[in-house]
Amino acid sequence: MKYDFAVIGAGPAGYVAAKKAAGAGLKTLLVEKKKLGGVCLNEGCVPSKTLLQAAKTYHHAKHGSVFGVNVEGLSFDFPKAHSHKNGVMDKMRDGIAGLMKKYKVDVVEGEAVLQPNRKIVVNGEEHEADNILICTGSSPAVPPIPGINQEHVVDSTGILNRESLPKRLIVVGGGVIGCEFACMYASVDVPVTVLEAMPEICPNLDSEISATLRKELEKKGVEFKLESKVEEIGKSTVTYNDGSNSQEIEGDLVLVATGRRPNVSGLGFEEIGLEFSPRGIKSDDRGATNLPGVWVAGDVTGQAWLAHAASRMGEVVVNNITGRTDRMRFDAMPAVVYTSPEVAVVGLTKEEAEERGIKTRSGRIPMAINARYIAENPDESGLCKVVLEKDTNRLLGVHMVGGACSEMIFGATAMLETELREEEIEEIVFPHPTTSEIIKDVFMAVR
Amino acid sequence: MATPVIMPRQGQSVESCILTEWKVNVGDQVAEGDVLAVIETDKASFDLESTASGSVLALFWEADDDVPVLANVAVIGNEGEDVEEFRPEGQGGASAPVAESPTPAAADSVAQSTSPVPTTVPAAAPAGGSLVASSGVSPRARRLALKHGIDPESLPGSGPEGRVIERDIEAVISGRPRLSATARARSLAEDLERPARGTGLAGMVRSQDLKVPGSVEGAEISPVKGIRKVIAERMIESLQTTAQLTLQASFELTKAQAYRKERLDAGQSKVSLNDVIAHGIIKTLAEHPEMNAHFLGDRIATFEKVHLGVAVDTPRGLLVPVISNASDLSIEQVSAEVKKLAGACREGTISPDNLSGGSFTLTNLGMLGVETFTPVLNAPEVAILGVGGIVLKPKRTESGEVEHVDTLPLSLTIDHQAVDGAPAARFLQSLVERLENTPGA
Repeated sequence: MKYDFAVIGAGPAGYVAAKKAAGAGLKTLLVEKKKLGGVCLNEGCVPSKTLLQAAKTYHHAKHGSVFGVNVEGLSFDFPKAHSHKNGVMDKMRDGIAGLMKKYKVDVVEGEAVLQPNRKIVVNGEEHEADNILICTGSSPAVPPIPGINQEHVVDSTGILNRESLPKRLIVVGGGVIGCEFACMYASVDVPVTVLEAMPEICPNLDSEISATLRKELEKKGVEFKLESKVEEIGKSTVTYNDGSNSQEIEGDLVLVATGRRPNVSGLGFEEIGLEFSPRGIKSDDRGATNLPGVWVAGDVTGQAWLAHAASRMGEVVVNNITGRTDRMRFDAMPAVVYTSPEVAVVGLTKEEAEERGIKTRSGRIPMAINARYIAENPDESGLCKVVLEKDTNRLLGVHMVGGACSEMIFGATAMLETELREEEIEEIVFPHPTTSEIIKDVFMAVR
Repeated sequence: MATPVIMPRQGQSVESCILTEWKVNVGDQVAEGDVLAVIETDKASFDLESTASGSVLALFWEADDDVPVLANVAVIGNEGEDVEEFRPEGQGGASAPVAESPTPAAADSVAQSTSPVPTTVPAAAPAGGSLVASSGVSPRARRLALKHGIDPESLPGSGPEGRVIERDIEAVISGRPRLSATARARSLAEDLERPARGTGLAGMVRSQDLKVPGSVEGAEISPVKGIRKVIAERMIESLQTTAQLTLQASFELTKAQAYRKERLDAGQSKVSLNDVIAHGIIKTLAEHPEMNAHFLGDRIATFEKVHLGVAVDTPRGLLVPVISNASDLSIEQVSAEVKKLAGACREGTISPDNLSGGSFTLTNLGMLGVETFTPVLNAPEVAILGVGGIVLKPKRTESGEVEHVDTLPLSLTIDHQAVDGAPAARFLQSLVERLENTPGA
């Protein structure tokens, strides 16, 4: 069949792009080898957030006494939580399928292989398109650790399908994914140990934010072994080196969460001359690859590793195809860790700004000054930090840990996208009492 | 005691100099002989040295000003001394303009206040819009302007007699790029250029999109000024006002090379091939005076003597010093003059008086590996001769055999307005004959 636009991969980049392109009148094909929604909906964001909410609800029930809420006979039904998770995923998948139908996108299930001259073969059938968008996503990285191929060793996809709680969980990798699962299992009283090779967890975040998150997770019972390199995974133990000696800890479930790798093999990229490496497909800020009419979006670019970044990349590609100049901007890309407390950041840290030669002013303020925050999170320590450009007072970054701060980071994102300065932000009214007021109040602390 | 520094007279023909760059600021301490500024005539650039020691009290001109010779340029003295008595006429009022004084930034139309402020004239001003101050504003235009915070009085009107009408205001509104708050503040503070469309939300101009005016992506920008500006003007003027035709020939070098060797063997001064050609031109022009002339539009000035210009490559660009009355000189004298003038050009010490008054020009790219080229006339001169590099050519001897000889290509560009092709060819033929048979004579 001949299409205007063919999309390979129905994750947050692919289905958003397919919908937008079809909405603009392009005859559109969407190919997916597994399920609509990609990793985000089926193996990542959505199921993990559902289970995290289950764990959070249990945790609140258990620790409600400060609010005068005392629960007796509290229990956690993990299979029930999974069935809620599955229900949410089904609903969202149906939603995407309905959307594709409404916009008359042809959805084909199968593995696509690219051919020269913008042709693709799916299930033995050849399709041709004026423009092709590759958004084949990413898979969990498999580090070369002896013993990694055992039944009780899982990646982020595998752990989401485990409907029984382990006696003890060991998490290899203290990044975003590792911390989220550590938080979830610890919240339902499973002892958790996180092994992180770096000196601090979530090393891409502001170091004070990471440290605050770590201390909060420790309060929940998560044990962190920093600067610890895993040497071997045994039947019921994990051996790691703490810098001087080999140590051994016991655990009956091991989660390996050491990052993700772009899906670039088996798709015919090499044969058609696409410029790519194991780190991703090379593209410009419009998503254009080295081949005319071949575009790329999402994790397979090796950039951002975020569902919302993938969706935006997909939109940028469609805008450029349909004649509207658009560019991908990563400087106002929010990122969230959905632990309890949540971490939400956007823009540059002070250190990142100074590495780029930007002179800064910055401020930090504890969330505990905020009425709504202490009312709702009496036992938690949160923090908000802000970075400004010294010469212009332009906002460069907002970094938060505390409560449900993921829900308010978009405000800071909009400020960054419009390059607001301290002078303008001061005049914005924030509703009271909300935790979001912290973004206004942090400016009082700017030096 | 406050002492003025004047713009020196650079040769008799120079009435003013461009002050290209200040090297000092008001308040700096200078000693006599210190460089205050770089100045340029239309031919060369010079250092302006301080004629007194002390503190720089005033700089009366801005970079790129055209300063009349003998005018006061700066005042040197002790802090607090009055400089007003030295201020040249027409140079500002009480405030001393200095090079660093910011050009008044075009006020932005969307200021934080609601009162109308002057606005920039958008690139998208209506075609045919007059650039003279407006004579009146239509009521509709005024209403629309006030609504959008635009000062209609500051706009060039496109209506009758420069009247500002509604479409002038609409053009301002539609041509106005949407700027982020930071971009707006920076573009005003740093006088940066805003593209019509930026890389931000729906084309919003972000601070990273602002450009130094006139910048080109991926390229370093250097201003066209001084000698480069003069050359640019002269070259385009030459090509636009003359009818250039280039004739090419070459001469056999055998005797010219032998002549040079004989001189050396006889203990005479060394002359270059270029000197031999220069001398040959001077001699040949005597037989072809129509080539030694200026075309002046309604008349042609044919010179009695040859004033030979010689193109010299210098770090600052092409200069053409002139050997005046070259037809009175021997080959040794021509050689010595070329050497002296070219050296002065390279060192930047050439007097502007030596850079004008030529009647014919010689240019040589042979040493740079060029075979032939089409020289551009040094207007209003009617001819210029270009010399290429040595080319080995087969030649049939009287006995009928073929031998190889060194030859030198010559390219003669003429102004066909003044000279026809045949006389020019005859001049070239005479020159070749002279250089082949009686070089140096």
